[in-house]
Amino acid sequence: MEQATLSFKARAERALADPTLKIAIDRTTGTAERKRALAMSQFPQFEAARDRARRIKDHVIANLEHYLLEFERNAIASGAKVYWAATAEEASQIVVRLCKEAGAKRVTRVKSMLGEEIGLPHALDEAGIDRVETDLAEHIVQLGGDRPSHIVWPSMHRTREQVSEMFKRRHRAPHQEETIEAMVDSARRELRDKFLSADVAISGANFLIADSGATCTVTNEGNAELTTTPPRVHIVTAGIEKLVPSMGHAIAMLRVLVRSATGADVTQYTTFHCGPKQAGDRDGPEEFHIVLVDNGRTRMLREGMREMLRCIRCGACMNHCVVFRQLGGHVYGGTYPGPMGAVLTPVFDGLEKSRDLPHACTMNGKCQEVCPVAIPLPTLLRGWRDRSWREGLEPGVVRFGLGVHTFFALRPRLYRLATAMAIRVMRLFSRGGVVRGMPGLGAWTAHREFPAPARRSFMEMYKDQEGGR
Amino acid sequence: MSNDRSVSSPPSSPRVALFVTCLVDAMRPSVGFAALKLLRAAGCRVEVPDAQTCCGQPAFNSGDTADAARLARHFIETFEGYDYVVAPSGSCVGMTRAHYPEALADDPAWAERARRLGERTYELTSFLVDVMRFAPADVKLDGSFTYHDSCSGLRELGVHDQPRALLGKVSGLTLKPLEGNDVCCGFGGTFCVKYPAISNAVVGEKAEAIERSGAQLLLGGDLGCLMNMAGKLKRKGSAVRAYHAAEVLAGMADGPAIGEEG
Amino acid sequence: MSARDSILDAVRTGLGHVRTDPAAARREAAALLQDLDAIRPALLAEDLVEAFVARLVTPKVAATAERIADAAGLPAAVARYLEARGLPAVVALQPAAVLQALDWSGFERHDRVAPDETIAVGAARWGIAETGSLVFHSDAETPILANFLPLHHLVMVRADAILAYLDDYAAATAGQRPPRNVNIITGASGTTDIEGSLVLGAHGPRYLHVVIVGRHPGEAA
Ligand code: SF4
Repeated sequence: MEQATLSFKARAERALADPTLKIAIDRTTGTAERKRALAMSQFPQFEAARDRARRIKDHVIANLEHYLLEFERNAIASGAKVYWAATAEEASQIVVRLCKEAGAKRVTRVKSMLGEEIGLPHALDEAGIDRVETDLAEHIVQLGGDRPSHIVWPSMHRTREQVSEMFKRRHRAPHQEETIEAMVDSARRELRDKFLSADVAISGANFLIADSGATCTVTNEGNAELTTTPPRVHIVTAGIEKLVPSMGHAIAMLRVLVRSATGADVTQYTTFHCGPKQAGDRDGPEEFHIVLVDNGRTRMLREGMREMLRCIRCGACMNHCVVFRQLGGHVYGGTYPGPMGAVLTPVFDGLEKSRDLPHACTMNGKCQEVCPVAIPLPTLLRGWRDRSWREGLEPGVVRFGLGVHTFFALRPRLYRLATAMAIRVMRLFSRGGVVRGMPGLGAWTAHREFPAPARRSFMEMYKDQEGGR
Repeated sequence: MSNDRSVSSPPSSPRVALFVTCLVDAMRPSVGFAALKLLRAAGCRVEVPDAQTCCGQPAFNSGDTADAARLARHFIETFEGYDYVVAPSGSCVGMTRAHYPEALADDPAWAERARRLGERTYELTSFLVDVMRFAPADVKLDGSFTYHDSCSGLRELGVHDQPRALLGKVSGLTLKPLEGNDVCCGFGGTFCVKYPAISNAVVGEKAEAIERSGAQLLLGGDLGCLMNMAGKLKRKGSAVRAYHAAEVLAGMADGPAIGEEG
Repeated sequence: MSARDSILDAVRTGLGHVRTDPAAARREAAALLQDLDAIRPALLAEDLVEAFVARLVTPKVAATAERIADAAGLPAAVARYLEARGLPAVVALQPAAVLQALDWSGFERHDRVAPDETIAVGAARWGIAETGSLVFHSDAETPILANFLPLHHLVMVRADAILAYLDDYAAATAGQRPPRNVNIITGASGTTDIEGSLVLGAHGPRYLHVVIVGRHPGEAA
C-alpha cells in the first residue's frame, strides 16, 4: 500500500530490483503466451473471428442506448432488479446498501475487475461485512492483504513458495505436501463451507445479454456458480459496455476471449444467469440485482476513446507487453495494469496523476497485434501523450529539448551545422568506439554503451563524394 | 505485402529519393552509403534531397503533435516530387506511412498529400524485394547471423521475409534464429532515455537471447534498435557484432561494427 | 436527474445523438452472426458423437468418456467407473426422472448433494461437439449445486442431444424463456492461479466422466 505514495519510476525501480517478482511474472505470463500461441495455431479462423468480435462490440457501442434499454426491460421481466450508477462510489454504495438490506453478515465474491474498479472490496470491509473472495487468486490476494496485479491472474505476483507459506499460516487445515495440487486442495477445504453459509453473493459479468436480460460469467474454477447459487441474494455489477445483442453474439466473443486469455477453447464453466430462482427450481437466490456502472465509460465515448470500450478484459495485451513483463501489475498503480491499464487508468485517476503510464511504453504494437478486439492501444496511448503535451504536463526539459530539435529540423542548413557539431562533441567523449561520460547521455550510458558516431555525417561525406564526381 | 506486386514487373530506373534518416546521418553514414549502393545496383536513379532532416517521430511520440505536423509538411514538401522514397529504417517509414495522416488529421488537404506520399514510401529491404525484385549478387561473408525484427517495420509495414530473403543470397552467411525475434528490444525512441531502468531490463533480456542464438553477427533494419542492442551487448562484454542489414547486403560489413573503434 | 437518466443522456451525447432504428439494429446484429463457419473451429471429426468424444478427451478438456447403447446400462457404467477407482457405490443422484427411473440396486443413493460429496451422477440436456461441453438448465430436476460440489461428476447425455456448435444450442433455445441458470460445463474444474500451472479440482469437480447414451440419428447403424 505504501507503493501508492511512491512515484511511478520509484515503484518501477523497486519492482525491477525484486528477483522473486520477476520469476513469478515470467512463470505466469510465459505460460500464458505459450498457451495462447498454441491455441492460435489450432484456430486458423482467428483473424476472421477477431474481426467479427470487433464489429460486434462496435455495433453494440454505436447502439448503446438501445441495448441498455433492451437489457433493462428484459432483466426486469425476468424478475431482476436493475440499478444504475454513474460513479464508482455510487456503485459500491448501492451494493453495500443491498447487502445491508439483506442483513448480510457474510458475502462471497466472484472475481470481477469492475468490482475492483469501483472499490467494492474496500467498501464491504468498511461496512463491517465479512467478505470472502472465492476465486483462488483473489483468495491469495486477500490473504496477502495486497491488490490484484493482473486482470486474469490477480495473484500472479506470488510464487508458489509464497502462496504455500500464506496458506500454512491462514488455512484451518493446510496442505502437508509442497505441491501446487496440495495447495489448491487446501484452499478448496478452506472455502467450501464459506460458499454455503454466505448471505449475499456478488459477481461481475463478462457479458450482458440484451435480448434475454441474462448476465454471463466465465470461470475455470467453478467458483462463480458455487458462489451465486446458495445465498438468498445475488448482486451483479457490470460496466455498461458489457452488452451483446444475444447469446449467439456472446458465443462469438467467447471464442476469441478465452483463447486470448488462457489458450483454452472455452472456459470450463460458462454460465448465463437470468433472474432469481424460478418456480420449482431446486436452488438459486430469491433476489437478483444488477448494477449497471458508467464510471467514466460515457466520458470515454465523448473523448475519442470509444475503441477502448471494446475491451473484454482478456489480459493478452499485458502478457505480451515487454514493460509489464519487467514490472508486473502493481507498478501501474491502478485497477488495470499493462497496456489496457495504461489507457484506462488516466480515465479513472486523471492524467496528471498517471501521466507516466501512457509514456512508459515503447509503442512496439504487440499489444494491438494480440488484442482479440483489435484495440489500437498504442494510438490511444499516444492520444494521452498528445493531451499531456497540450495540457502542459510534460516536463520542461522535454519540451525544451524537442522544441530545439524541431527548430533545427525545419531549417536544413542549420540542422546540418548542428549535426556536425553534435558529432564533434560526441567524438570528444569517445574512446574505443563508444561515447563515455558525456553530459546528457547518462540515462543511456548507465546501462549500456553508446556507440560513437563516425567522423563526419552522411550528408557531409555525400556532398564531398558527389561534388567530386 | 510481398505478394501484391508479384504480377507486375519492377519499374524501370525509377527516380528514388533516399531518406537516410537523422540517426544514420549523424551516427552511422555507412548505412546510408550501403543503401545508396543497393538502390543503384537495383537500377534506381537515386537522389539524396538536401532539405531532408528528421521525420518527426520524437515529437509525435512525445505528444507534440503540432511540431510533428510541421516536420511532416517539411518532409512531404522535400520528397513529394520523386517516384519513390526509401529509407533504411522501418520506424521512420512507419512514421510517414502510418502516422503522418494522423498528425495532419486537422488538415485534410495535407493529410491527403501525406497518404499519397506514404503509398510511395518504402523501407529499404521491402523496396528492394517487393518493388525492385532485387537480389544481391556476388556478395560473400563468412559467418552466422541472427536477425531482430524491429517493431515498426514488422507490425506497421509487414517487413519480415524481405531482409531474410536478401540475406539468404549472401554466400557464406547462415541464419541462426533468434528466440523472441519479434519482441521489442526496449529502445522505443525517447522511451529509452525517459525510462532507462525499464529499457535496460528489456534490452538485457534481448541481449541474452541474442547470445543464446550462438550467432556471430546481429543484424537488423533499424539503427536505433541496433545501437540499443549493440550497446548492451558491448557493456556485457559480448563478442557478438552488430551491423545494419544494408551494410552486409552491400558488401560493406568489413568496417567496424556498431560500437567498435573506427 | 436520476443516475439512469444521466447515464443515458451521456450515452446519447457521446454518440452524437444518432438514434438507433431498432429494425436496423436487429438486421445488423443478425448479419454479424452470418457465415459462422468462418469464425469457429472445424470439428475434430465429421461424426458429431465422435467429434464430441474427441474433444472431451483432449488434454485441454481432460474428461473421460464412454458410450453405452441404452440408458438402462448407466448404473452398470457407473459401477464400473467406481470399481476401477476403488470408490464406494455411494452416489448423489440428480433428481431427474430419466435417472431416477433406472435400476440402481446395489447403490446407496440420495438426491441431495452433500457439501463434501464424492460422487454425483447427473444428466445433461445437450452436448456440444465443438467444445466437448455439457449444457444444463436449472429446474425442478436440476439443482445447480449438484454440478459443482462433488469430486467426481458422472454425466449422462443422449447421443441425439449432441449439437455441433455452441451456436446451435443458442439457436435451439432462442425465443424460449431462459432458465435461471444455463451451465455450459467443459471438463473438470481447474485453476492456473498459482504460477500459471494447471491443477484440476479447484472448487468444483476434479473428475468429469461423460456417458453417451444411444446413437445420433445421423450415425451409421
Ligand atoms: S485491450 Fe485487448 S488484449 Fe488487452 S485486455 Fe482488453 S481485450 Fe484483452
